[in-house]
Order: sequence, then C-alpha cells, then structure tokens
Amino acid sequence: MIENLLLVLFASAAVMGAVLMLVLRHPMRVALALIATMISLGGVYGLLGVHVIAVFQIMIYVGAVMVFMVYAIMLLDVRDPSFTDRYSALLWPGLAACTVLAGVLVGSAWQGAGPVAGATGGLFGVQPFSAVFLGRYWLYFELTSVLLVVAVLAAVAVVQIRGRRRAGPAADAEPALPAGAAAGQEGVRHG
Amino acid sequence: MDKTQFLLWVSLLLFSIGLLGLIVRRNLLVMLMCMELMLNGVNLSLVTFAQRGGSVEGAVMVFLIFIVAAAEIAIAIPIVLLLVQHRRTLDAGAYTDLKG
Amino acid sequence: MSSATSQLLGLIVLLPLVGFLFNGVLATRLGGQRLNETVVNFVACALPALSFVLTVVCFMQLEGGGQPLLEATYTWATIGGQSFGIGFYFDRLSAVMTLVVTGVGTLIHVYSTGYMHGDESHPRYFAYLNLFLFFMLLLVLGRSLLVMFVGWEGVGLASYLLIGFWFDDPVKAAAGKKAFVTNRIGDAGFLLGMFLLWGAFGTLDMTAINAGFMGSTPPAVSASLVGILLFVGACGKSAQIPLHVWLPDAMAGPTPVSALIHAATMVTAGIYLVARMSGVYMHAPEASQLIAAVGVATAFFAATIAVVQYDIKKVLAYSTVSQLGLMFVALGVGAYAVAIFHVVTHAFFKACLFLGSGSVIHALGGEQDIRKMGGLARRIPITFVTFAIATAAIAGIPPLAGFFSKDEILWFAYASEHGGATWLWALASIASLLTSFYMFRLLWLTFFGASRMDKEVEHHVHESPLSMTGVLMVLALLSAVGGFIPVAHYLEPMLPLPPVPEALHHHERTLIALAVVFAFTGLAGAWYFFSGTAARAAGVRTRLAGVHRWLTNKYYIDELYEEALGRPLGWLSKRVFLQLGDRTMFDGTLHLLAATARRGAVAFAAMQTGSLHRYALYVVVGVLAAVLWSLRHG
Repeated sequence: MIENLLLVLFASAAVMGAVLMLVLRHPMRVALALIATMISLGGVYGLLGVHVIAVFQIMIYVGAVMVFMVYAIMLLDVRDPSFTDRYSALLWPGLAACTVLAGVLVGSAWQGAGPVAGATGGLFGVQPFSAVFLGRYWLYFELTSVLLVVAVLAAVAVVQIRGRRRAGPAADAEPALPAGAAAGQEGVRHG
Repeated sequence: MDKTQFLLWVSLLLFSIGLLGLIVRRNLLVMLMCMELMLNGVNLSLVTFAQRGGSVEGAVMVFLIFIVAAAEIAIAIPIVLLLVQHRRTLDAGAYTDLKG
Repeated sequence: MSSATSQLLGLIVLLPLVGFLFNGVLATRLGGQRLNETVVNFVACALPALSFVLTVVCFMQLEGGGQPLLEATYTWATIGGQSFGIGFYFDRLSAVMTLVVTGVGTLIHVYSTGYMHGDESHPRYFAYLNLFLFFMLLLVLGRSLLVMFVGWEGVGLASYLLIGFWFDDPVKAAAGKKAFVTNRIGDAGFLLGMFLLWGAFGTLDMTAINAGFMGSTPPAVSASLVGILLFVGACGKSAQIPLHVWLPDAMAGPTPVSALIHAATMVTAGIYLVARMSGVYMHAPEASQLIAAVGVATAFFAATIAVVQYDIKKVLAYSTVSQLGLMFVALGVGAYAVAIFHVVTHAFFKACLFLGSGSVIHALGGEQDIRKMGGLARRIPITFVTFAIATAAIAGIPPLAGFFSKDEILWFAYASEHGGATWLWALASIASLLTSFYMFRLLWLTFFGASRMDKEVEHHVHESPLSMTGVLMVLALLSAVGGFIPVAHYLEPMLPLPPVPEALHHHERTLIALAVVFAFTGLAGAWYFFSGTAARAAGVRTRLAGVHRWLTNKYYIDELYEEALGRPLGWLSKRVFLQLGDRTMFDGTLHLLAATARRGAVAFAAMQTGSLHRYALYVVVGVLAAVLWSLRHG
C-alpha cells in the first residue's frame, strides 16, 4: 500500500521534473530539474527492488553526467537569444505532434495481464547481478571499457585539433579545454 | 491498472516530453539534457519489464545504456564547446550549415 | 515459256560493279588515291567492254537456241512463305536493250577518258559511271519487277550523283536534287502499281504477269489502273509532262553523263517498262490513250521550247524530252516494237549529238552559249561532220536512222487500230517539223556563219583528242546506217505490231512523203532564218516577243510548281512539323519531364532548412507514422 503510494509519488515527481525542464528558462535550473527527475527515477527503481540499477542511476547519471553538464553550463554562461527567447519557431507544431505521439503511444501501450508477484529483491542485488554481468555478459563489459577509452581519446583529440590550429593568442578558449578533458576523465572514473 | 502499466505510461510520457523538448527548446545544452531525459524514459521501461519478468538481462541492458550515455555526453559537451567557440552563441537556430 | 539457263547474265551485270568498287575504293581519296589516271581509265573502260562482249555471246546463244536465257542467282528474302529471288532474264527485248546499254555505254566511257582528262575528281567520275551501268543492267536484265525496281532506283541514285558531280557549285547540286526528287514522285506510282500486281497475282515475275493478263480469265485488278500507275513511274524516269522538269536542269552534269544517262539509257527505262509490260497495256485501252496523249503533248511542248534555247546542251535536252514523247506515242498506240526501234536509233544519234556538243564545249574551253559560237565548221571538222550527220538523222532525212524509226511511229500514230488518230499524227508531225527546224538552227548557229566567239576563246579552238573523235565517228556511222537494223521486225514475235485497217494502207506512201517534206522544210526554214547574220530571226523575235518570253521561260512551269507545291510544302514543314510537332510536342514533352523533375527536386530541397528543430519534428512525424502503420497492420 505504502509502496504503491511512494511509487506514484516518485513517478509524479519525475514527470513534473520533466515538464519543468521544458518550462524553465535558465539552463542551470533546467539541469536541476533534470537532476530531480533522475533522482526520482532512482527512487522508483529502488521501490521496484532493482537496487543495483537504482544505485548506479544516481552514481552515473546524477553524479557524473549531470555534474559534467552543470560544469558545461557554468562555463558557457552565454546570454544569447536562446536565453531570453527560449522556445524555437516550432513550438506549436512540435507541441501538437508530440501530444499526438504521446497519446498514440500511451493509448496503444501494452495492456498488462495483471500484476506479477515476484520476490525480486534477491535477484537484483549486487552479487547476483555482478555474477551474471561479469559472468555471462563479460564480452559486453569489456566492450564498454573499450568504448569509454575511445570516448576519452576522442574528446582529447577533438580538443587538441583545435588547440593545434590556434597557434597564436587564443583568448578565452584555452581555459575551457583542460576543464572539458578533466570532466571527461571524471566520467571515466565513475564508469 | 497495475504497476507495470502505470510505469510504462510514465516512461512513454517521459520519452515524449524529452522529444518535445528537443523540438521546442533553443539552447543547445538544454537540448542535450532533453536527450538524456529520453534515455531515462527508455531506461525506466526496461527496468519495469526486467522486474516484471524477473530477468537480469534487462538490468544488464540498462547498465550498458548508462555507460553509453556517459560516453556520449563526454563527447557531446566538447563538441558543443567547440561550436560555441566558433559562433559565440548557444542558439540552435544559428547553426544552419546543413541547409540545402 | 521454256527457257535455257545461263551463267553469263550475272557476270554481265556484276562486271561494272567490280569497276565501281575498284576505282571507287582504291583510286579516290577514300583509299588513298593509289592509282594513276591511266589505270583508272583502263579498268573503267575495259569492264563495260567485257560486258558488251559477253552480251554478244549471250545474244548468239539466244539466236542459236531460240529460247530466252534465265539465270536465277539467289533468294533475297523469304517472308511468310513468299520468297523473293534475284533472277536475270534474257529474251529478245532484253537483248536489244542490253546491247545498246553496254555498247553505247562502253563508247561513252572511252569518250569520257578524253573529256574528263585532268579533272580533279576523275576517279570518282568513273566509279559513278560504272555504278550507273551496273544498275542499268540490273534494270534491263531483271526477271521480276522487284529486280527492275532496284535497278530503277539505282539509276536514279547514279543520276543524282553524276548530275551533281561538281557539287561545289550549289546550282549543280540543286539540279541533282531536283532530278532525284522528281524521280521519286514517279517511283511512288511505280510502287503502287507493283503493290496492286502483287496483290492480284502473288508474284512480281514479269512474264507471269503478262501471261496473267493475256489469259482467258480476267485478273483481279484493273489493267488500266495498273497501267496508269506504272506510266506515272515511267513519266518520272523518262521526263514526260508533268515530271519533265528535271531533265533540262540535269545538263549541269558533265556532258558524257548527259549523253549516257539522259539520252541513251536511263530515260529509256520508262519506255522499256511499258514495252515489257505490254501484256498489261494491251488490255488497258484507257491507259494506252493516256500514254499517247501525254506523249504527243510532251513532244510538241518540248519542241516549242527547244526553238528558243541558246544553251547548246539545253536544246539537246528538250530535244530528248520531245523524242521520248514520240516514243510514248508509239507505245500508246500499241506499236511497242517500234518504240524500241526508236530507242535504239535515238541512242545512236542523240549520244552522237551530245558527245559532239561536248567536243564543241571542249574546243571552246567551256563555252556553251551558241550565240557566242559560229564559223566552227572549218576549225573542228571531225566534230562538225559527225554532228551534221547526227542532226540529219534526228531531223528524219532519209536514209539515215531517224527517218526509219520516226516514220514508223508516225505511221502507226495515224493508222493503228489501237488508238491511232489523225490528230495524233498531225501533232507528232508538227513536233517533227519543229525538231528538224531547231536542230538545224543549232547546227547553223554553232558551225556556220561568222564567228561570234570571244577573241581569247577563238585563239585556243582545237579539235578534240582521238578518244573523243573516234567515238563520235563510230556513233555517226551508226546514226547513218542504224535505220537498216530490223529491230521492230526482230521483236515482232514477242511484241506484235498493231493491226492497221485495210482502208488506210494506201496512205502509207503519202505519209512517208509528207514526213520527208517536213524534214526538209525544217532544214530550209533554219537556213532561211539563221544563215548569215540571223537578222530575220531577230526580226521575228521582236515581233512575237510575248511568245518568245513564254517559251524562253519554259511556260513558267517551274515557277508554277514552286508556288503551288514548293511553298505550301515548305510552310507545312516549317510551321506544322518543325514548330508544332518537333519543337512543341517532342521537345516540349522532354522539357516538361525535365522541368517536372527539377521543380520536384526544388520542392523537396525546401524541406532541408538546416534547422535541427525541424529535423527533430520530422523524426516525430516519422515515428508517429511508423507506430500507426504497425498498429494497423498488426
């Protein structure tokens, strides 16, 4: 009973955060709304009993991705037209299209065959999860490490090319580069 | 209405709102964050079904999505930074080089 | 009719073709001009001479065996059960024609070696001349109308090539084109006639068709209709009204060409066609009447124009048209063999006249206007004597060749039971009178009297080389004695002379006497008007100025054709077919397709604005469509 209530609460919070994302003007506030959504989702995962995912949701998404995003927002505090005029020209067509889409998707979504009583706490704990992940799906684990290395290299390379081309005084560009590379490294450490 | 269906609707809603935000918002960084929102919506649906069906594979999938999202953001933000160095604006309307 | 096989007929036809290929490829610029003039001359003359020898051999064979020779070479095509073969047929009629073609042809080839000496396109000329001979032999030796038609078209082609031989001059090139187009109009009639015959008989073999008409059951097609259609073809080829316009213009070609093609051989193809299809015409009285009427009208009409011409070759050209008209008169009254007799004698004296005029032109370095000649009799004696003999022959002075053949024609025009009439005879006789008159006028103005030549030209007057004068002498001899060759009698077994009513038999002597009187009247008249300073002729000219203008302008027929046919066709071609049909419809359709593609592309390109938001919207729309589609289709 209380579980269901909490579930509805967290879910509603997630949706509200999403809506706030669309409405707020300052990018920083949008980021905070997104963080709120993510934390709520973490809560939902926890309530569902998928603990390992809940934890990693917070750690990776909120802790790394959103932190990096916040850094970027702080760095690029540009007061340009997108600040004052936050909606694009396609506000109403987009609104209409996505409403229809949401309606169609929700209306045709899977009509469930009733609740399934499942003791899932044990299944999604860290130990059984790891055993499966690093046991049966070890290849994909390795591949993800490769992916992350490549991502780091790519970020460095993208930034270095710009650095090499700009031989002379590069004004306010330079300080941005190390911060970006550092943020990338942060993401790696948490992943 | 049971838990699964409810959560499914929530995930579809989150996905739609993320897509809407992509169309509607101008700021490049906000558009990136909307893409993250879409990923989150998808994650939610995956977790819902994994929990319902008792399969760990779903959770493994979600985990992999986490990692991919992190790698993606690691590249996306430097790209945005470089774009902004070039054009000095975060307005997506200013980047119309794909025209024609 | 049974026949013997021969191997030589195909060879007769092919030898000139070999000459064409040999000279045409190796001696012209095509093959690198590897041969010198002597070799070209030798090859070009030897092959027709060889053909002539073989023809004589075949003629002996024909006489010995008494049966026509037949040679079937190969099957050209088999279409749906019907096969079309190439075959050659040598009976008395073909024998006469082939002997004339190869004999006179060889002589003219020899003459050309002298006349065309030094011309820069010398090899091309001989190649074309041999090509002409090949097609002409196909025409006269062909067994079926199909082979004959191939030869028919081919001589038209060779004629075009040779008339427009010096094609750098646009006037000469236009003359060649005029000849070809006019011939083509006649060919349409020929083809229609062939189609009708094919439809009725299922074969184009000429003996079979003649037999079909002569047989007891009337054939499915009207003989008159076929006769008229074939006659249209003959009109085109033999320059009768209204398709006569090309022959005078054809004088633009080299003079030996005029002699060979437009006097002796090609223009007689029409006569040969009608004579060959005599079986049809004997059962087509309306067609025969038409032929006689057109023939006599042409004879008279052309003779009147010839009286005022002052280009030596144009006089001879109109004379040819007139003589051909007389031949058609003979055909029209059923005297087919007589027409062929006149073909033979005409070949002799007309070729001699043309070649003689060529000799005069050669002597004067290119001058063709008789008002600028005179007093040449002593300067170029051989040419003069041969020309005079040929002139007397054409005028009908006995006992030269023309007298015999023309007299027979006039007799049958008067007396034949198949259409002979007094008015035909009268008109033909007047035409003969005029012929005598203008031919002697030509003789007088060219050779007698005081010299009216330019000083420079007069200084260089010289007799032609032996290659030219030798041929002239041979032809003059033939013109003199050719009348004694019993051609009509020889052809009688296959081309019987028309019956003559008993009552009129005693008029024969009278008519002969009248013909001789007319011939000498013409001679006297020419002497009267044109001897001395030709002052009397000038007087008549001023008094009858209107008539003179009409005749000089050839009755304005060319202008009439241009106005009535040329301009409307030109308008049709330009406005309807070019602008409406080609540009608007065809090009327009293509442009429309291209423009549609381009505008469609532009419309689609408008979708790509470069705005990321818009692209994202497209994604949403696409996803929506996919979801809805998958929902509908399970």
